[in-house]
Amino acid sequence: MNDDALSAWRTLPWQILRDAPTAPAMHMALDEALTEAVAAGTRPPTLRMWEWLGSAVVLGRFQSVRNEVDPAGAARHEIGVVRRITGGGAMFIEPGNTITYSLYAPLELVAGMSMAESYEFLDQWVLAALRSLGVAATYQPLNDITSPSGKIGGAAQTRRGSAVLHHVTMAYDIDSAKMLEVLRIGREKLSDKGTASAAKRVDPLRSQTGLPRPAIIDHMVQTFRKRHGGTDGQLTTAELHRAAELVETKFATEEWLHVLQ
Amino acid sequence: MHGEYKVPGGKLVVVDLEVVDGKLHGVELSGDFFLEPEAALAWMTAALEGLPAIADEAALAERVRAAASGAELLGITPEGVAVAVRRAVAGGAQ
Repeated sequence: MNDDALSAWRTLPWQILRDAPTAPAMHMALDEALTEAVAAGTRPPTLRMWEWLGSAVVLGRFQSVRNEVDPAGAARHEIGVVRRITGGGAMFIEPGNTITYSLYAPLELVAGMSMAESYEFLDQWVLAALRSLGVAATYQPLNDITSPSGKIGGAAQTRRGSAVLHHVTMAYDIDSAKMLEVLRIGREKLSDKGTASAAKRVDPLRSQTGLPRPAIIDHMVQTFRKRHGGTDGQLTTAELHRAAELVETKFATEEWLHVLQ
Repeated sequence: MHGEYKVPGGKLVVVDLEVVDGKLHGVELSGDFFLEPEAALAWMTAALEGLPAIADEAALAERVRAAASGAELLGITPEGVAVAVRRAVAGGAQ
């Protein structure tokens, strides 16, 4: 990354949030509430590191429930389903099996970039963090973080007013057998991946770093702070209220979950 | 009726629909693509609704392109939607 790109980050007063374990629907709502807050100027640009309180399938904004979720498998493993506000693919989450983070940034940070370019730009700090832990991480357009031994994670974005939400889930240690009972991963989806087995699509970060998950998250935050700056912050009461309201009126409703059958 | 198409280098486009009196009906478009704004999904779906089931790929793609002209599409193309629609119609007995 050149000096101009780094200084674009440096001029922003980043705040870093480390979650307490949070329910899946509340995570969905926080993403919308905090993107709104950055767009409104009531919150500084923010990095949020997620902690999950419960298991979930997280569907992309434009995915159909029926085509992505195996209802019998989800029921058997007591996995709920939520829908996020960004596009992209379904994720299978159990507390501790992934590393998830969100960036809420003013659009000026990605001014002049195509959406495809901005995906890679916003994750450069993560690639640097992973590389310094010995993972040969690279970006694979459109939106994947990958390594020679397989895909690590995927990013998704959406925009609200003058703010961009960019969030990423990376596999730390996923039970892929359980994942394949809960998600339908179709043959068509894999047709241009050159992948023989759906189970090989996820390559856990644990095996490539040998580190406990919290150590990787700590290292990511340190890397972010070193490159881009940032002070520790907390969710405000107003933000928590707004997110709770969004859970009730949107993210926990059948209407939103089944907006695509 | 159900059709899927993986856009090369892009994302999965899924179409579910019925054909009623020779026209596309109850079209649902879904997948792991990105659209901005999110309302663009409804624009594209509405543009397909009621089209003749015999409409070819070029005609379908043209309708979708016009409907999505104000949107940013990532991982999905009008042509990809058209292929998924044709596959859904062709696989009609399923």
